[in-house]
Amino acid sequence: MFRTFLAIWIGRLVSFLSRWLKRGGTSLPGYIALKIDPNLMKHLTSNYKKVIIVTGTNGKTTTANLLANILKASGLKVIHNTEGANMPAGVTTTLLESPGEVAVLEVDEGTLIHVTKQVKADMVVITNLLRDQLDRYHELEQLVQVINRSLSFIPEATLVLNADDSLVTSLGLNKNNVKYFGLARNELSQEKTTEVLEGHICPICHKPLEFNFYHYSHLGNYFCPSCSYSRPKADYEVNEVKLSFQQVCFNLNYPEGEIYLKTQMPGVYNIYNVLAASSTALQLNVKPVTIMKVVDKFLPGQGRAETFHLQNKKITLMLVKNPTGLSIGLKTIITNSKEAVYLFAINDLAADGRDVSWLWDADITLLVDAPYNLIICSGLRAGDMAIRLKYEGIKMDSVVVVPEQEASVNRLLSESVSEAVIFCTYTNLALYRRILRKRGAESEVAYMSSLS
Amino acid sequence: MKLRICHLYPEFLNLYGDRGNILVLKRRAQWRGIEVHITQLSLGDKLDPKAYDLIFLGGGPDQEQGVASDDLRAKGPWLKEAVEEGVTLLAICGGYQLLGQYYRTNSGETLPGIGVFDAYTEAGNERLKGNIAIRVEELGDETPVIGFENHGGRTFLGNASPLGSVIYGDGNNGHDQTEGVKYKNAFGTYLHGPLLSKNPHLADYLIGLALQRVYGEVELQPLDNSLELEVNRSVYQRFLSTKGKW
Ligand SMILES: [Zn+2]
Repeated sequence: MFRTFLAIWIGRLVSFLSRWLKRGGTSLPGYIALKIDPNLMKHLTSNYKKVIIVTGTNGKTTTANLLANILKASGLKVIHNTEGANMPAGVTTTLLESPGEVAVLEVDEGTLIHVTKQVKADMVVITNLLRDQLDRYHELEQLVQVINRSLSFIPEATLVLNADDSLVTSLGLNKNNVKYFGLARNELSQEKTTEVLEGHICPICHKPLEFNFYHYSHLGNYFCPSCSYSRPKADYEVNEVKLSFQQVCFNLNYPEGEIYLKTQMPGVYNIYNVLAASSTALQLNVKPVTIMKVVDKFLPGQGRAETFHLQNKKITLMLVKNPTGLSIGLKTIITNSKEAVYLFAINDLAADGRDVSWLWDADITLLVDAPYNLIICSGLRAGDMAIRLKYEGIKMDSVVVVPEQEASVNRLLSESVSEAVIFCTYTNLALYRRILRKRGAESEVAYMSSLS
Repeated sequence: MKLRICHLYPEFLNLYGDRGNILVLKRRAQWRGIEVHITQLSLGDKLDPKAYDLIFLGGGPDQEQGVASDDLRAKGPWLKEAVEEGVTLLAICGGYQLLGQYYRTNSGETLPGIGVFDAYTEAGNERLKGNIAIRVEELGDETPVIGFENHGGRTFLGNASPLGSVIYGDGNNGHDQTEGVKYKNAFGTYLHGPLLSKNPHLADYLIGLALQRVYGEVELQPLDNSLELEVNRSVYQRFLSTKGKW
């Protein structure tokens, strides 16, 4: 017990000091506290009414943010970590700050096991499993095994799983408390996909799966022609998707009824994020009207797609960390923008993934006819990106390679167009945000402080 | 002139941007006015050994590789016939392993390969991964072949010759400084993903070999490789000082 008190006390002291030194956002307090008491997460969460873990490759930040917001709006005292703090040390740092009734914890899928060994989570939401930093978690199947082992420590937990992702649904096999969410066929469904696929192997008989249609990447309606396995029936299902300018509307059918949701977040992947958060909230008996209100107003916080204003330019900063993210990011930006400067800031440090081969798995065909007047490649792997563009058929007289990040921003600002988009890998994101802020850029989507 | 490319199991063997190689071959041929035909063959499809100039196989995750390897046993004789006839072939990572004599798993199980290459692979514990550079004799000393490797298997060559020798990185097995394999015009390598994108000299070498069999001695029209070679040079230099077994 003394150990726990010491860990909490020192953790809070470090947290206070680091805030005082204005080094916000580090996971240092949790790191140190866990060194003192390795079981600290268990003690810190034992008094919560509900602990909900959100994990998966893409969308966990948005899903967890939105869910935390919905639960707060329903009157609960919610503790919630933010992106970048989704490893055990970060989760602990969040838990140290103040106690609450409900914890919504975004957890990195690769280190989930360290959390579930200690935290008796009531629910685990899994968004999807896509190709992401394969040199860290080298193959998805192995990742699935690791997650399965992580879940075995919390057999009582309700799993909220994406029915459209066969890798995710394989985690629901032989489990008791599983709820599925998914999309019915809609106007965005595609018969074929041009993206590189993964996870199209039957989890039962290991023969290839076939698809009736796709939503994006390997997410869709699948079945195994060799055995009886197929996409599970979704308890929470989206239908009648309507896309209009910067707004998506759809119906969410659930066992007790139906709600109509409207979100300002574009793209099919955000439908999944809204669906995952809303399904979990409905499971927790939150009133539908509360969910509708929060979803309607919700905008992603820092990181996903943040907009800055600088020297009469609107500059959008977008994190891309895997092929699906880049494919979808481009689709979203290109369909909504006029002539712009595009900047690709690609690094290969540990947090980015050392291997940049994934650039070739992204679907960048839309870029060929996009309305840009210049493409800038920057970062440690600026050259790799430029070669990628060259072989896609982009005209190279409108591509420049400026590896140094400050210089790349100078180049961007020297262009006369009023819009610019910066696609960043993980380690470039904070760097570009800092460069833009230092030059006096104002962020349009203010920090949603109530979220974090 | 026409370059007929066969892409095997594109939906299964596609782990690390492997399809980038097809794009590089296609563009480099098209930029020279060479017509390109790409045929994707997968499970159950017949492989006509006379129908293609260049055959490509990528790497895949374990399960996908298992699915492909079952089917590859049926296509094996056709593939061997093509290689004996001098068809150009490039097999990467998992594809390379499948074309060897066998793969021995950690549990001691032996999975037969189709034996295009006199090489065998044993499962290892640590994955060998990171940036790699090799020297390929046929391509001269001026520009190394660079890439990224990430493999659990250790491959050992029988009587076959390696594709190149390791400058830094692990190569076939992390021990004997060999990387990849070559037999006639068939090549296997652990340099995965978009290998040809930063190695235009290797890409052109393969295109040249593929066309020669049909059209005799071919002189490929030079292209502007300044971007590719500059990136090759800078990436090579960047990792030369910081890492390397050799
Ligand atoms: Zn099956």
